Amino acid sequence: MKVKIFRWRAVGPLLVLFVIAGILWWLFADTIARRESQEVGTQILGAQVEIQKLHLDLRHGKVLIGGLTIASPHEAFKNLVQADELVADIDVVPLTEKKLIINRIAANGLRFGTPRTTDGRVAAQSGDGIAGRVLAETREWASQFQIPVLQLAAGKVSTDSVDPRRLSAIPAATALGARADSSHRAWQAAFDSLRLGPTLDSASAALERLRHARATDLAALNEARQAIDRLKRARDRVTSLERNVTQGATILKSGLAGLESARQRDYAFARSLLKLPSLDAPAIGAAVFGPSAIRPFEQVLYYTQLARRYMPPGLLPRASTGPSRVRRAGETVRFPKQRALPAFLVRSAELSFLLQPTSEQPRRYAGRLTGLTSDPALYGRPTAFQASGPQLAAGAMLDHVRAIPVDTAGATLGGITLPAFDVPGVPLKLDPGAATTQLGFTLNGDTIRARFAVRSTNVRWTRDSGFTNSAIGGLIWQAVSGISNLDVEARLSGALQHPDLAVRSNLDQAIASRLRAVLGEQVAAAEQQQRDRVDALINDKVGPVRARVNEVQNQAQAQIAQQRARLDDLQKQLEQRLRELTRIRLP
Amino acid sequence: MFTLIKLVQSLFGALHSEGTEGQLAAGIVLGSFLGLTPLVNLHNAVIFAALVLLNVSFAGGMLGWALFVPIGFLLDPLFDWIGHQLLLAASLRGLWTSFYNTPIVPLTNFNNTVVLGSFVFALLFAVPLFFLTRWAVVRYRVTVGERVKRSKFYRALTASKAYNVYKMFRP
Repeated sequence: MKVKIFRWRAVGPLLVLFVIAGILWWLFADTIARRESQEVGTQILGAQVEIQKLHLDLRHGKVLIGGLTIASPHEAFKNLVQADELVADIDVVPLTEKKLIINRIAANGLRFGTPRTTDGRVAAQSGDGIAGRVLAETREWASQFQIPVLQLAAGKVSTDSVDPRRLSAIPAATALGARADSSHRAWQAAFDSLRLGPTLDSASAALERLRHARATDLAALNEARQAIDRLKRARDRVTSLERNVTQGATILKSGLAGLESARQRDYAFARSLLKLPSLDAPAIGAAVFGPSAIRPFEQVLYYTQLARRYMPPGLLPRASTGPSRVRRAGETVRFPKQRALPAFLVRSAELSFLLQPTSEQPRRYAGRLTGLTSDPALYGRPTAFQASGPQLAAGAMLDHVRAIPVDTAGATLGGITLPAFDVPGVPLKLDPGAATTQLGFTLNGDTIRARFAVRSTNVRWTRDSGFTNSAIGGLIWQAVSGISNLDVEARLSGALQHPDLAVRSNLDQAIASRLRAVLGEQVAAAEQQQRDRVDALINDKVGPVRARVNEVQNQAQAQIAQQRARLDDLQKQLEQRLRELTRIRLP
Repeated sequence: MFTLIKLVQSLFGALHSEGTEGQLAAGIVLGSFLGLTPLVNLHNAVIFAALVLLNVSFAGGMLGWALFVPIGFLLDPLFDWIGHQLLLAASLRGLWTSFYNTPIVPLTNFNNTVVLGSFVFALLFAVPLFFLTRWAVVRYRVTVGERVKRSKFYRALTASKAYNVYKMFRP
């Protein structure tokens, strides 16, 4: 029997099925595209992306997005941007290659930093995906600048207890004591080995005989001469021992000096345990404004690093996390090709936005973005952004066309009311009022150079109620409350992994001089207290060792001097008696 | 429950259909593609169309799909690995690059490691699966097939309405 290959009667139902699928797609395409856009946007930015309305008009190559909200990846209840309406002109043909080419986007009613009711951070909470990893990296990067909080308000100089085990004088004293004992034993042994007793006794006996001898008593004279020789040899041995003792004593003395050095080190160590408010103006600037100054750098770096991940230079295959689905997402690999279209490209975007939308007279601005693409090497030109308007000039360029990416951004924004913030370590609140902020940022390969500055002429200070009881707090309040100008500048430079941060402000000197005046005495007293603590701990050990060293040294030297005197005396008497008997001067 | 009943109906319907063992085995092979690879992909539309249009056992296809879905989930790490090896192989980069820049082809998501890995696996697995299934159906039909066909259980199963729908597509 011949089996037919095709089941022709199923063509009808299959066509019906495809038609139904087509109708369903037509009905739900907007919803599917909206959900997909939300999902992809959220994944890319690491923050919730919400779209109220999305309409696909593929026949005319238009996409209309209404009510776009992108949450801030860094702040819990804040939006990064909201847009009333976005209209995009897209190329339809590249969609068949799964490539999204947007010729022009017109974005109206953009608003930045608006509040939201729910926490829109995704990457910060899950830590998944590229955005999660970049966020974690930039947070770690920013954490290297953490600055110890100053105890300015309380003005307290607190100390940690001194651990005797960490003092160097105590083990040094123990070692010196052992060395003194060992020297003492060695010297005593050397002294005993001199055997001076028999020499002295025989010399005394020879002297006694010589006293009663005559000039012709040659035996007595010879015996006396031999005794003198023995005395001379004994004195040489004593001299040699004395030299050893002197050397040993010098070493012990240097050991005593070493104890003093160890004591000074211990003082320094104890001083390091003091928690002192910094009295240097730059340190105060870094402590007071550092945390606020690092935040903009961290945020700009986050977006720059995201751009580098999503817009890498070169044409090598790029793997990224696949679409989320019930099955494993896997990785999706893109294969850019020379002279082909990139996977994503926004040729031009015209932005119209409001700043301070909640104020009575919100200001309107215009901006333009060109060349935003997933494959800069294919597009061949850097991504550029510029915006201008009343008191605003901003620009950015992401140049990933060559092997080493260069990202630059700069903005000057005036007349913006910055939020009041608590000054770290001080119960003071600083309200910068309407300020001018400047940001400059360059990331050339792995070298960063950035500057953030805030200038205001209408600063207001408020203090907490607890501040009134603090003398230091009062002084700082006096120092800063009369200052109405604020000029803060933070600079960052060097290798991206370990850049140098320098923060200065016009308040640094004012606070520092007040602190220096008041805290100087407290610091001196605290240092003396620490020195006393160290002394109390080490004197019990060092004092006896010092005495022992002196005792050993004196004892040895006295012993030697005594014996040498006896030797000299006997020799002198023998020589004198011999001269009397022979009247010949001995050589 | 209904799915389970349908599956059992499909199983017995296919085993006792008038179709040949080859038709049943081919249906199961096509169904295995639907089960092993992530479903919402363009290539599965082609597979489904083939299942409907070709004179293979549709019930076998549904059976293969149902049987291989859990296996697909289990083997996802293997598929991911296979896809990774293939997509990042330097020798195949030219092929993938031209595929990626050809209209329609990227819509198949071939550049996803799990999709490509599972598809290649299903492709390689198709030949042994076809012969194994055909042999198993032959063995079933010559051994217990007739007894099952005469059983009350089978008669009750084939009397249900769902069976009538199935009959529309039986080979």
